[in-house]
Amino acid sequence: MTAPAIEIDRLSKHFGGLRAVDDVSLSIAPGERRVLIGPNGAGKTTLFNCIAGTHRPTGGRVVLFGKDISALPENRRMAFGMSRTFQISNVCTDLTVDENLILAALGNDRRKWIMYRPISALRRLRDLIGAGLARVGLDHRRGETVKVLSYGERRQLEIAMALISSPRVLLLDEPCAGLSPSERQKLSRLVSELPREITVVMIEHDIDIALALADRVTVLHRGRIILDGTPSQVQNDEQVREVYFGRV
Amino acid sequence: MKLFAVAALVLAAALIPVVAGEFWTTLLTQIMIFGLLALSADLLLAHAGLFSLCHASFFAVAAYTTAILQVRYGFGTAFAASAGVIAGTLLAMVFAFAVRTRGVYFILITLAFGYIIWGVAYRWASFTGGDNGVTSVPFPIIGPLQITNTTQYYYLVFGLVLLAAAVYNAVAGSPFGLTLRGIKSSEPRLRSLGYNVSLHLYAAFVVSGVFASVAGVLYVYHNRFINPVAASFPVSVEAILMAIVGGSGTILGPFIGSGLILILRNWVSGFFHYYNAVLGIVFIVTVLWAPLGIMGLIARWRKRGRGAGP
Repeated sequence: MTAPAIEIDRLSKHFGGLRAVDDVSLSIAPGERRVLIGPNGAGKTTLFNCIAGTHRPTGGRVVLFGKDISALPENRRMAFGMSRTFQISNVCTDLTVDENLILAALGNDRRKWIMYRPISALRRLRDLIGAGLARVGLDHRRGETVKVLSYGERRQLEIAMALISSPRVLLLDEPCAGLSPSERQKLSRLVSELPREITVVMIEHDIDIALALADRVTVLHRGRIILDGTPSQVQNDEQVREVYFGRV
Repeated sequence: MKLFAVAALVLAAALIPVVAGEFWTTLLTQIMIFGLLALSADLLLAHAGLFSLCHASFFAVAAYTTAILQVRYGFGTAFAASAGVIAGTLLAMVFAFAVRTRGVYFILITLAFGYIIWGVAYRWASFTGGDNGVTSVPFPIIGPLQITNTTQYYYLVFGLVLLAAAVYNAVAGSPFGLTLRGIKSSEPRLRSLGYNVSLHLYAAFVVSGVFASVAGVLYVYHNRFINPVAASFPVSVEAILMAIVGGSGTILGPFIGSGLILILRNWVSGFFHYYNAVLGIVFIVTVLWAPLGIMGLIARWRKRGRGAGP
């Protein structure tokens, strides 16, 4: 049996007295599409931040492809093939589309330390960036400052940035938040077309998109997992309906 | 077009001593030296978003080291000048730990660092000469290259500052320069992309310290003496103000800012006693109406000109 892509072992994150993530364990297989759902404040983003290393967990372990990464700082985790997007679009708005992608491409590359040669001298970077932009349909925006991009386009850019380092694990935090229906469709198609070599973990509030993309769904509520199952199991579960849609 | 502008600038600078006389030649030497100091501080401000108030420290430590080695211990220029740059850089490697902080805390800690160096220069009189400093620094002599007057020194400074600006340009346009602008724009993003943000800022701080140290060594051979004023708080502040007034984030900007401020002080002060008030008004006007400085105004003006054209 191969090691799971991500294994979370009794993970907790407390903020003072608040148990944002409370003793959560879950295992995600390589190539799986896992969607995390749950009402506001369920601890989805906190769990994400613990996986990505933005937060140091209060207890428990995060294991990536059999390697315990719990003690690694955030910037070192990318070297193990992890890549993420943020809930609130987080790109360098003062820089151009190209520059954002160059930064994303060089994150794990020692050439980021070069001080004496221009960026244009880096071999193969141009083509890589061209291909990365074409994949998300942003090639016509090359060279523009991110400031002039629409919110949807920034989302696309973020995904291009997350993909350019050829990650093995992709963490998407509400990629469809704030997008128009047509943009949502475009984005969910993009995610569904990703190769199966990439394990995708996604937080999504749009239940239709979540259920369409997911192999398995994990439902969080008040920092705990209340259900871990297939989309149809989740849809028919009485407890999930209760916490998610309120008591009927 | 850009190459043409640079060539014209170089030619103009080369002709200054011939047409303008000694007063302007000396003043221009000073402008270039302080422009380089402003440029060094602007590496942190414009690219990494760090507002340093201790650049006078590297400037002064480099200058003191060179002066003491040459005057008191009789070392040659080559050794004394290199030791000066190295001493300033070593200090920058210590002070660079300030990058553990951000924003106001960074400003305050660099301010405190600056005062330490000023205090040492002022109080450790047996070594630094205290108030009097170190005097009678000779003109530089490096092997067959002997500087004997201010005009020759002007050309030497001009060549070295041009070289330093070219190096600065390379650093700013390199992948490393881009990572700094990325950090300035969104630090959490860069961290999640795999960047050790503190290490990049540390390196930027040290590189910036090297430029400031070079400026310090050039200064001591220009001024021919050094005293604690060179390490004082106003020097650090003015370096930043020069960059902002001239145009932060450009190469020419800090030199233009240096020119404006030093001409006001050295020339206008000769016939107008309230030149300091003029300086204050210049800063206020810049911040309110030209936050991108003089270079920003030029860029805006050129854009408008192009827009109106056919």
